[in-house]
Amino acid sequence: MIRQIIHKEILENLLSFRFVLSLVLIILLFAVSGFVFVGKYKQRSSDYWEKTNENLAGLSEQSSRLYKLAFYEQSVWRKPKPLSLCCEGFEKTLPNCFTFDVFSADLPEIKGRSNFTLSRFSSIDWVFIVSMILSFLALVFTYDSLSGEKQDGTLRQILANTIPRHQVLLGKYLGVVITIGIPMFLGLLVSLIIVVASNAAVLSGLDWLKILAIILLSFLYLSVFILLGMFVSSRTSQPANSMVILLLLWVVFVILIPSFGRIISEISGKAPDPAQLERKLAEISTEIWSNTERFGERAGNASGNLSWPGNNPPARARLRNASANAHNKARQDYHNKMLAQAFTGRNLTCISPTVIYQRASEIVAGTGINRIVSLHRQIKEYQAVLRQYILSKDAEDPLSLHLLFPEEYLVGAWRAISHNPVDFDTVPKFREQDIGLTKSLGLAVWDIGLLVLFNLVFFAATFVSFLRYDVR
Amino acid sequence: MIWKIAKKEFLLNLMTFKFAVGTILSIVLICVFVPILAKAYQERLKVYNENVAYNQRELGKVTVYKNITPTVYKPPPVLAVFSEGLEKQLGNSATIQYDEVPEISGSAANHYLSIFSIFDASLIFKIVISVLALLVAYDAVSGERERGTLRLTLSNTAARYQVLLGKMLAGLMVLIVPITISFILGLIILLFFPMVELTGSDWIRIGFMFLASVVFVAAMYNLGLLFSSLARRSATSLVLGLFLWIIFAVVIPNGSAYLATQVVPVESEDRINEQLVSLQREASREAARELERSGKSFMSGHSERSDAPGGGFGHGYVRSGSEAFIHNQQVKYSINVPVEIKYADRYAQVEDGYLRSLFEQTRLAGNISRASPITLYENVMSALAGTDMVSFRQFIDVVREYRKDIIEYIRSRTDNFTSLSFFTPCTKEELKTRPKGDTAEPLELSDLPRFVYQPDIVSTLGRVVPDLAFLMLGNVLFFALAFVAFLRYDVR
Repeated sequence: MIRQIIHKEILENLLSFRFVLSLVLIILLFAVSGFVFVGKYKQRSSDYWEKTNENLAGLSEQSSRLYKLAFYEQSVWRKPKPLSLCCEGFEKTLPNCFTFDVFSADLPEIKGRSNFTLSRFSSIDWVFIVSMILSFLALVFTYDSLSGEKQDGTLRQILANTIPRHQVLLGKYLGVVITIGIPMFLGLLVSLIIVVASNAAVLSGLDWLKILAIILLSFLYLSVFILLGMFVSSRTSQPANSMVILLLLWVVFVILIPSFGRIISEISGKAPDPAQLERKLAEISTEIWSNTERFGERAGNASGNLSWPGNNPPARARLRNASANAHNKARQDYHNKMLAQAFTGRNLTCISPTVIYQRASEIVAGTGINRIVSLHRQIKEYQAVLRQYILSKDAEDPLSLHLLFPEEYLVGAWRAISHNPVDFDTVPKFREQDIGLTKSLGLAVWDIGLLVLFNLVFFAATFVSFLRYDVR
Repeated sequence: MIWKIAKKEFLLNLMTFKFAVGTILSIVLICVFVPILAKAYQERLKVYNENVAYNQRELGKVTVYKNITPTVYKPPPVLAVFSEGLEKQLGNSATIQYDEVPEISGSAANHYLSIFSIFDASLIFKIVISVLALLVAYDAVSGERERGTLRLTLSNTAARYQVLLGKMLAGLMVLIVPITISFILGLIILLFFPMVELTGSDWIRIGFMFLASVVFVAAMYNLGLLFSSLARRSATSLVLGLFLWIIFAVVIPNGSAYLATQVVPVESEDRINEQLVSLQREASREAARELERSGKSFMSGHSERSDAPGGGFGHGYVRSGSEAFIHNQQVKYSINVPVEIKYADRYAQVEDGYLRSLFEQTRLAGNISRASPITLYENVMSALAGTDMVSFRQFIDVVREYRKDIIEYIRSRTDNFTSLSFFTPCTKEELKTRPKGDTAEPLELSDLPRFVYQPDIVSTLGRVVPDLAFLMLGNVLFFALAFVAFLRYDVR
């Protein structure tokens, strides 16, 4: 019996005007997303490799003298990911360039081809299409699923049969899921065919698994809206009224709440201000340089000539390192504050399934703000590795003073760190590590759980409400 | 007759469920949004005041003319509560330096917040009330046909144009209700905040915002009316209207920017940086030539110096130095500073060229997105709020003029950058004898030009009018089409 209802629902939907419209719109959007991804990915990859090779070439030049390695300012760029096809995670407005040497790292920046004058817009990736357009269509398909049939009088006839109500409900639910699934599936296929055929990005086996995970997430997300639509439909007696309520709910959940995040984090009054950071850094410098004697005698004086009696290399090194550490700490605090602001905003807006879905997909695809955080952490680790490498190589040189501190001129002139060449192959190089599928699913488990919870709540609500529905 | 129909429609609509839900939602949203937005404005104003006060303090500490490098800030516009525009995306400060012309730049504030979309009170109008307009309009014609009342109306002596005009007027009157309530409520809440002060020009802007909101919502209503007179069944007109709405609200604003980045790709900053480097080399060559031409020369000898901190804006100043050092500094500044000022303009030209390519892309995106009334409305609102691109460019233009004033001031005070006071507060005698730890008196800068930035209402209205005209044109067009469709409508 339930199969018959599903069958009827699908046929009815497929023949409807809204289905044709949504099919065209969705396939068009997915095709656009595929084409644009291909163009952008090629461009970004070539930019990325150019910058990365430039950086490596610079690093290899420095390996002729060990101490130079420490002072070389490396720029690591964010590597374009094939999975940004599914979920770009607002990466174009997030920092893409990390500049650092062994001692300190600048705050991550946005560089390269980006147009800051363009007003903020979402990339048309899969997640965008699903979260904005398909969720809307889910409501368009369900707003009259119960109240519409009641109005037409067909619901009475169905229930006059021997079929129990829960089967009707389940049949309708599955019917809509499949109807929504058809344009989505076709769209995904079109988009994937464009990407695979263009040969722009190579999708590995793991990537395919992740794509599958994102598709499953999308179904979970759309199912929330389908159930919401059916719930509201079962609470109202007129389809027009259920459409009104659903539209306004959609606006609140999909548009208003997700944009709430920013303002919530701004009114907290703890917004970090770049001008304040500058002032703080200047204060630290003044404080350290006016109390140089704290680090040892004559720490404030230095001359490139090591034999000058005014020099006190260990004190100088302590002073410089202390200054760099204090600056690093101030910058790190500032950066943490910025991140905390963004994460607070996001966590507080998690009452919207759209935010949850976006976040979960970002984690699975390995893009978005979490990736920036992980990149930043990896760079910190890499700095430590490189520093360790320089120190261990330096220990082999008896001529060196074994003092590593951020003042290139003095380190070079004093031979505070060895001047010997090193084999470039042994120099550690930065390589971004992706999070594995199991780990990322582990991170996304909360979000998946929340989406499932939304589904269960709405399903239960629909069920109860339909059991008491007056079909006359 | 028109009036009678309009009155009947108006009363009917007022009693509907959709009107009640839509109006209540917009009132609730205004009550939630505006206090939050006003609080955010308060925070921004606090930071702005802090920064301005800091600058004022530092200006009082300046001991040498070289150190006059104040940072000027664009005051946060209070009307950003209604339309955020680019307010949080673009930099709102610029530092005045003789060797650098300020440029429009991206905001230095938290990049990570870009994961959230724009949030302002106009969201309520462009999303909630525009949906409401479609909901009110979708069954105006097709719904009456379904119920059979349209036949009855037309069997009367009422002409078709009267019926449609009446419906249009009624829709307008109905929709003005939530718009007016939202505006008045929003303004009352806003004025509750002690930091908020609205000037006369602000009120003119608010008036235009109200007008724009009404015109925009009317356009959406006329669109709904068009679909209603095209479709036989009201469900069809609803679905059609909603599809177009989602295209207007979501697809076009995002897609246009996306498309523009593909059609006119911007070049990488690297090329600009190369040009700047070569210009820098040219500048140093020119400085050398100037030195030759002037007949001055550097003095050899011990160039000992000692600097003192606390010369304003985090810079130090020369407190003592050997004769050779002082002479060389004097020669260096008198030759280099004019060259640097000249080259600052040339750097700015290069950077302006790059920025122009960005603006080109932005303009294309803007023009594509004008296909959507929602974007047109956004443009009008952000221009009125003073948060659009042009406002920021005007700010930078004012800052550039101010920089010229400051340079002129320093030039006149330091005898074309040749006097000692450009880099040291001490006289030649004092430079030799001044004891350690002695601090200099700050400069008397009471006649330093002040920075004044006043957004210009006339140019704002100049920007607003074309987009507003487009919206009105959309109104006329949609209504005309609806009229044609209704004339041929089969009322059975």
